[in-house]
Amino acid sequence: MKPKIAFFDFAGCEGDQLQVANLEEKLLDILSHVEVVSFREVMTGHSDDYDIAFVEGSITRPEDEARIKDIRSKAKYLVALGACATIGGVNCIKNFMSPDVYKERVYGTSGRWYSTYAARPLKKVVKVDAELHGCPIDRSEFARVVKELLLGRQPWIPDYPVCVECKKAGNICRYDLGRICLGTITRAGCGACCVTEGAHCWGCRGVAPKANLDAAREAMNKNGFDHKTVRDLLRFFLGDTYAPL
Amino acid sequence: MTAYTVYLEQLHAMLAAWSKEHQVYVPTAVEGGYFDFKPWREGVEIAFDYDLAYNTLKRYFLPPKEDLVVFDLAAKTAEMVFDAPKQLLFGVHPYDIRGINQLDQIMETGAPDQYYLHRRDATVVFGLTPMRVAETAFWSSMGAGEVDRGFDLFWTKTGPSTFLVEVGSMRGEKMLLAAGELTPASAGAREAARKAHLKIMEMGRSNALNFDWKQVPRLLDKCWNSPLWQKKAELCLACGSCNLVCPTCYCFDIREEADELLQKGVRFREWDGCMLTSFALVAGEHNFRAKALERYRHRYMRKGKYIYDRYGELGCIGCGRCVRACTTNIANPREVFNTLWEASQHED
Ligand code: SF4
Ligand code: SF4
Ligand code: SF4
Ligand code: SF4
Ligand code: SF4
Repeated sequence: MKPKIAFFDFAGCEGDQLQVANLEEKLLDILSHVEVVSFREVMTGHSDDYDIAFVEGSITRPEDEARIKDIRSKAKYLVALGACATIGGVNCIKNFMSPDVYKERVYGTSGRWYSTYAARPLKKVVKVDAELHGCPIDRSEFARVVKELLLGRQPWIPDYPVCVECKKAGNICRYDLGRICLGTITRAGCGACCVTEGAHCWGCRGVAPKANLDAAREAMNKNGFDHKTVRDLLRFFLGDTYAPL
Repeated sequence: MTAYTVYLEQLHAMLAAWSKEHQVYVPTAVEGGYFDFKPWREGVEIAFDYDLAYNTLKRYFLPPKEDLVVFDLAAKTAEMVFDAPKQLLFGVHPYDIRGINQLDQIMETGAPDQYYLHRRDATVVFGLTPMRVAETAFWSSMGAGEVDRGFDLFWTKTGPSTFLVEVGSMRGEKMLLAAGELTPASAGAREAARKAHLKIMEMGRSNALNFDWKQVPRLLDKCWNSPLWQKKAELCLACGSCNLVCPTCYCFDIREEADELLQKGVRFREWDGCMLTSFALVAGEHNFRAKALERYRHRYMRKGKYIYDRYGELGCIGCGRCVRACTTNIANPREVFNTLWEASQHED
């Protein structure tokens, strides 16, 4: 019997589901092995009978907790999709402000009617079986992981920093150009795409499991980036890792 | 060695002729004042005075990612795949040729690495005497300033628009003469080339190992418990940059991926490095180099001792790429060996 899969979203931009939809022909081939029962991005209709749940977005309200726990209880396998779900991502920027401030900034005078609280990744609330990192996720990584799951293999997700892929790509290191970069501590898997495109790594795939944050911070300081610059960059995507709740 | 004099104005026709059969790569200026090998086409300016190619040239023989085997899950068949495009590396410095020679030796030993050897055979190497030395380089003191094999031609710029070209192989000579006859080099031209070489060796000495490189293996024998390893390793990001940029590092990981219909697939290899935390991770979650200190020390043991014990030369040719690549400034073999040497002098 084909495994049934469903997609869900919490606080996020649905960019990750869009990446999946953008797989187009590849997606159709992959989908021939599964039965999609819920996927707002490409179909209408929904069923509560599913084996694998792909969940996008962070938990940002008390009522989200009940919903994600319900999804967890129905799914045999739960995959967090994208930075908001895996590490809290940009949503965590508000965790460094007082609720009064961020509520007013987002909802104006009606802020007090909203029950929002500090943003957190899924794993802070429920057990997560696999994580697909990135903001947004990497389409080919999504396809590969789904294939690995279908073949009964353990999904392979790199545990080393982005620098590895950056060297493979043959880029000139941002530090050699007097610029900053978080590739030194961020989990690889994106092919160092931001550096290849001329920008630097922002840390969207989360901190690599054995990253040396102290050494990276020291290196950034030694390269002339002051405490505030480094702190703000680390808070951009890594707020939850950098200063957990 | 047979040698010819070549004038700059003859070069263009040669490059055009070589390009017909080979993908030609040349050193050229890239952003930030660095240099790198790029495909030659009309209009690409060759940086004859480049100091160091930013990326290691091993990528032309051992690409960052390479397909090895294609398989069919239904038919239960598998087949090796080879991709060895004809290529010409024009302007390789002696230390980098040393690096290539060492990789050749390693890849030919034991079970010869067919993938590497196919690519190597399809690659023509034209050497070039350096005219500048990178700030981080120390090849002159690692016995890597000279090379007598591993190239098809060797070029030395002896004047503003003159080169002395030494022949290293019949293949090279044929390519050199393909566009027409050339004048054999005079004794004066050979002398000019010798002087150019001496000059660059002298320039290289400003950044050197403080002792004879042949002492490095014996020095490391005594330094297993040095406090230096821990001190340096504390700053290690385990980013593998020092491995991946190194011309003589050859480690790779093998993985597989199936197609979308789960019927066919490909087995491929990708660069790996001993500074990465999972490099020595084996079944049962056992990691035989779990500590940063062990990984950090291991790399120096490889570069300064293990490769020597097996092949009779150091695993480091002193190119200085790792020195540049390490964000926390701890991957400098010259500095590490010099520090250990200094400490060992006080012990006796
Ligand atoms: S640019 Fe960033 S990712 Fe690339 S090597 Fe440098 S620090 Fe690492
Ligand atoms: S380079 Fe960094 S910020 Fe860019 S996709 Fe990769 S992990 Fe994310
Ligand atoms: S260890 Fe460093 S200096 Fe030595 S060959 Fe490798 S990259 Fe070059
Ligand atoms: S130094 Fe490390 S990565 Fe390089 S060849 Fe040796 S074991 Fe492999
Ligand atoms: S480049 Fe530096 S920080 Fe990165 S693994 Fe090597 S020694 Fe460690």
